[in-house]
Amino acid sequence: MIDVKKIEKLRKIVGKENLLDSVEQLTAYSYDATNIWSHLPDVVVFPTNTEEISAVLKFANENKIPVTPRGGGTNVSGGSIPIRGGIILCTTKMDRIIEISKTNLNATVEPGVVLQDFQEALAKEGLFFPPDPQSFAGCTMGGVIAENSGGPSCLKYGVAKQYVLGLEVVLADGKVMKLGGLTPKNRTGYELIMLFTGSEGTLGVISKITLRLLPAPRSSKTIVAVFNDVAVAGETVTAIIASSVLPSKVEFVDNWTFEKFRGLLPGHILDSSQVILLIQVDGLPQTVEAESQQVVDICNQWASQIRVAADADEAEKYWQARGAHFSDIHNRAHTIINEDVSVPRDKIADFIRLGRESAKRHDVPISFAGHVGDGNFHPAVLTDSRDKEHYQRALKCVDEIIDIALNLGGVLSGEHGIGLEKQRFLKKAMDPLAIEMMKKIKDILDPNHILNPGKIWEESKE
Amino acid sequence: MKTTPVYEQIEKFKHDLDTCTKCGFCMSACPVYQEEKVESSVARGKIMLIRSLLAGELEVTDGLAEQINCCTLCMTCAQNCPAGTHVPSVITAARADKVERKGVPFPYNLIFRWLLPRRRLFGWVVRFVSWFQGVFMPKTEGTIRHLSFFFAALGKGRHIPEIAPKFLRQSVPVANKPLAGTPVTCTVGYFTGCMTDFVFPELGKKIIRFLNNNGVEVIVPQGQGCCGAPVFLGAGDFVNGRKMADINVKAFQDLDYVITDCATCASAMKDYVKFLANNEERKQKYSEFAAKIKDITEFLVDVLKLPPSAYRVAQEFIGKTITFHEPCHLGRYLGVKEQPRQILKSISDIKYVELPDADRCCGMAGTFSINYYELSKKIADKKADAIRSTGADVVVTDCPGCQIQLIDTGKRNGLPQRVMHIMDLFE
Ligand SMILES: Cc1cc2nc3c(=O)[nH]c(=O)nc-3n(C[C@H](O)[C@H](O)[C@H](O)COP(=O)(O)OP(=O)(O)OC[C@H]3O[C@@H](n4cnc5c(N)ncnc54)[C@H](O)[C@@H]3O)c2cc1C
Ligand code: SF4
Ligand code: SF4
Repeated sequence: MIDVKKIEKLRKIVGKENLLDSVEQLTAYSYDATNIWSHLPDVVVFPTNTEEISAVLKFANENKIPVTPRGGGTNVSGGSIPIRGGIILCTTKMDRIIEISKTNLNATVEPGVVLQDFQEALAKEGLFFPPDPQSFAGCTMGGVIAENSGGPSCLKYGVAKQYVLGLEVVLADGKVMKLGGLTPKNRTGYELIMLFTGSEGTLGVISKITLRLLPAPRSSKTIVAVFNDVAVAGETVTAIIASSVLPSKVEFVDNWTFEKFRGLLPGHILDSSQVILLIQVDGLPQTVEAESQQVVDICNQWASQIRVAADADEAEKYWQARGAHFSDIHNRAHTIINEDVSVPRDKIADFIRLGRESAKRHDVPISFAGHVGDGNFHPAVLTDSRDKEHYQRALKCVDEIIDIALNLGGVLSGEHGIGLEKQRFLKKAMDPLAIEMMKKIKDILDPNHILNPGKIWEESKE
Repeated sequence: MKTTPVYEQIEKFKHDLDTCTKCGFCMSACPVYQEEKVESSVARGKIMLIRSLLAGELEVTDGLAEQINCCTLCMTCAQNCPAGTHVPSVITAARADKVERKGVPFPYNLIFRWLLPRRRLFGWVVRFVSWFQGVFMPKTEGTIRHLSFFFAALGKGRHIPEIAPKFLRQSVPVANKPLAGTPVTCTVGYFTGCMTDFVFPELGKKIIRFLNNNGVEVIVPQGQGCCGAPVFLGAGDFVNGRKMADINVKAFQDLDYVITDCATCASAMKDYVKFLANNEERKQKYSEFAAKIKDITEFLVDVLKLPPSAYRVAQEFIGKTITFHEPCHLGRYLGVKEQPRQILKSISDIKYVELPDADRCCGMAGTFSINYYELSKKIADKKADAIRSTGADVVVTDCPGCQIQLIDTGKRNGLPQRVMHIMDLFE
């Protein structure tokens, strides 16, 4: 617990309207979008500029108070849970888009800008920032960078780190460091920006971000293909990509989420099918026309039903149904263990088959959905943490699924990060030397371990 | 041993409480969160606080009350929620359980208990207050006056229209028949609502005339009262809300249609059954009553199916550009989105332009705007920017509450647009 005097000091730094310490307000900062983790902070501060972030960190460092950075709190790895209490440093009030430059194709933003607001501002200028985590309505740019997020569009366009040109980062002792710049090319020294993309708030607080942008694609088309067989759907994805078409998105939902597509696709087809692929191609109108036809031709060989959305409205309906997957699955059971593995594309069908077999062995329901175009899956095991025996079986199944993904040459987390949720798997998913190196870097940048302590790796029990 | 507390009203919406997955889809859309940027102001935060309340981890403190009060019940979160969680219902229920434990604060307790249910007395008080202010308060431009007290402190420096010298229901008979020669096609009851009755009586008269001209007999039952929205939705006072509901249901019992010009009144009255029906008899009565309620534009388009020629625009609006603010209670609650637009688009004498984010909450929300006037103003200022961008001459809406908010916003922001009710456009 932080004592009253320290809270007063923090209040002086950020101003009384930017500090919360009532039990009700703290409760609202005890969770993120994960299922099982929660912990109360002692205080929540909302700095409104870099100097305030710096002063808060300097004070926290001197007094060895844990500081958990937080943006929208939409992460699904426990990343913004203040698991050791202390300070939540919330960036939501630093929400200015500082500049959007059409000629330089870049933009500079504060960390609390909500992704959707940013996307809307860019759209007005005909510009485009591709990483599109599906939490865009709540997640912040700081969170997107700190988690190195991606989304459906990353198949064609890559993840957040590929768009960062410059960062301003406040270090644990309050010093402010500037990295990179405004230009797309920059070969000055080590690629230190990459230390902070995906750092999950453990190395510094990102206070300003300069991003590379693209011109918005002129047109796009959405194709929906329904399959009777999961493995066949997986093979179709592989075939599309092997045919030299690179769709902007290829998303996969299994029949757990079909209810959301009722009314959009024929009921009898849904009843007898297993998988829906949602595919989007974008670019110049002529290219889109030709590529979508190619995708349709490939799907035609195996799909039981194919629809090409007639217009943007129809396409939006399919994407909304896809977007509802998370809540849909979460409302099917008391506890959902939602994984985030990524496997090489040519192993998609194997992964699903083996995953299903594992679920069958452990007698637990499983649902597959994800950004299948880049091999990134969110297998969700449905269980109930109150039912010890069932829950144990579910955990075992999850362990196996991760092993399956790793054995197929995949990775533990495609986009959600490690946080608290995936710590227990880190040792088998990362070279021990690399884990050691991460810890050394942490010691250099944050010797007192005040920044988001308890995350990414399991602390050894002294 | 710790006992888990019982929250009777919240329990009824347990399903909504349970379905929230904390996904955060409601964040960018919540008008309150957009201004405050604090988790407890967004639907997800409120759900989590109320869950903690049920779990016995929090109690009904002033701090908690603050969080459940600070919501416009605009329903934008529910519209964006992939899980189908209806947060405004949970919040209304939580307000009721709070009142159950803590009572209604002064002066609302007196107003709700004694004043609002007594139409005559309420009218007298409003009249007295307006007279009092006419004497002591400086007049501002035109018919707009600074009032510091209005319907229990609506004011706080807000520009609001003057209270009418003669209320609607003092000016019109109970039965308003079409002129001799116009065949009567149907008879409706007109629920006038407080705002039209006390502030915009001319609007009420226009509506009656419009309906009469189109062969509708309009009954204005004297027994009707306030719809109760500020009482049971705003403050969570279900006991007094129920009394008001019973009064209105009785007043309209012999009529097949209840027409309103106020989307808030209409949706609040439709929601009697959801929140206030505490026995089978009320459930049935309130459901039957709900089925009779029609917003005026909905009635004209869906029931009367009037042709475009029926909408004769008053001389002063001919050739003008008109835009439309869609009240939360109209679009999201009543599902009436197309009807007012259809009317506006069909009139060849005016030019209709769609307002950007037309369905975005204006921040009025009755008691919310009294308790959180500063916040309410910030929400409204976004509306002002949107209205300005249309270049329209007039912004119309379908809720006198929104109208009052937009008038205030317009004055503060120096907007050139006039603010009116959609039915004000017609002869
Ligand atoms: C329904 C749903 C769908 C999702 N879909 C996707 C998806 O498609 N792809 C994807 O990649 N992710 C997805 N996510 C996960 C999550 O939304 C993203 O990781 C998002 O970028 C997090 O942003 P945030 O602002 O909410 O960050 P938070 O949750 O607040 O924080 C995330 C992490 O970043 C750190 N952090 C936040 N701000 C800063 C800062 N300024 N400086 C330093 N560290 C900081 C925090 O300490 C924490 O460790 C989804 C989540 C949900 C609930
Ligand atoms: S959108 Fe719905 S499910 Fe998601 S956090 Fe908001 S209320 Fe909960
Ligand atoms: S009803 Fe409106 S103000 Fe209230 S939480 Fe939902 S979106 Fe926010």
